[in-house]
Amino acid sequence: MNKVTFESVKDGDVLPSLTRKVGQETFWKYSVASFDYNPVHNDPEWVKTAQPFKIPKTVGHGMMTMSYMTSVVTSWALPSMLKIRKIASKFTRPVEQGWEVKCTGRVAEKHFICKGKNFVVIEVKAENQHGDVLAVGEYEVVFPD
Amino acid sequence: MSKTHFTKNFKTEKQRVFSTDFFTKADKYEAWDEIDFSNLKEVDGENTFEIKAEDLKYYAEAVGDDNPLMIDEEYAKKSPYGGLVAHPLFSTTICFWCVGVEGKGNWIRTPGARNPGQVIEIYEGFKVGETIHIKIKPHDRYIKRGKCYLTYQMDAYNQNNVLKTRMYATLILPRTREDIKKFLTGIRGLED
Repeated sequence: MNKVTFESVKDGDVLPSLTRKVGQETFWKYSVASFDYNPVHNDPEWVKTAQPFKIPKTVGHGMMTMSYMTSVVTSWALPSMLKIRKIASKFTRPVEQGWEVKCTGRVAEKHFICKGKNFVVIEVKAENQHGDVLAVGEYEVVFPD
Repeated sequence: MSKTHFTKNFKTEKQRVFSTDFFTKADKYEAWDEIDFSNLKEVDGENTFEIKAEDLKYYAEAVGDDNPLMIDEEYAKKSPYGGLVAHPLFSTTICFWCVGVEGKGNWIRTPGARNPGQVIEIYEGFKVGETIHIKIKPHDRYIKRGKCYLTYQMDAYNQNNVLKTRMYATLILPRTREDIKKFLTGIRGLED
């Protein structure tokens, strides 16, 4: 992969996307990874009646979806030694078992500051297989050049 | 609920000791309507986190990221990064571990809590060998469209007091301790 430089990057550039299939096993595994054992993600019996999201089934962690979105940016940024300095996300719809989560990103803004401080803003979106938006995120990525 | 769903996924030392039960001691969790905003002094988290290679590798694997910089120690050592690169969202793991069960910020464990989205500022990536501690203080509390939001500022420092990340951790919470108790018995404790 060619390295991305501040000169070469253009607003509108599209990052390679990724897709993850999720299910209850995914949610259990993410609970272990994150130490977030909230029963809304883990306990099918509890959630049948408790329904924090008004859904009688477990849903995925928001931070799991945010991790997928972030992987879109790190896959693009790390080989070129770019630094993610800020991530801001909003979760718009709970992620249900059996869904595919597709994350796409594009360069939305290019900020001309000075060498070492130039940065871009990447807008990332997570959608399910029906095209419903699950989450959105903005990533500030700083260039060394 | 059977814990084998979790134990079959345990691969690190910390995963084997961290409690999977968010219900026990929930009566000690901070409640939305009880947070004291007159005292904004930052407080240390309950625990510190000594980062090992297994911690970073497992997180990347769990989110399906096969970037060799995150999972292959030898590859990462030979790279310009000089060692494993932490997935940026590994800060989630740091927060839950360091907040602990009875420490400030333990509302993040509340059964019934919902995640609306997060803001993370990254100053330096986490590295193997660092020992992380967090400092926590209330940041904001508000109601929006009938939902109770709470935000704490959680700053993660290494053993040399270098600021690594700042997270504005926000959740939508049950409003009162009585609402939390409803969730503990499997009843919806929210008004929205």
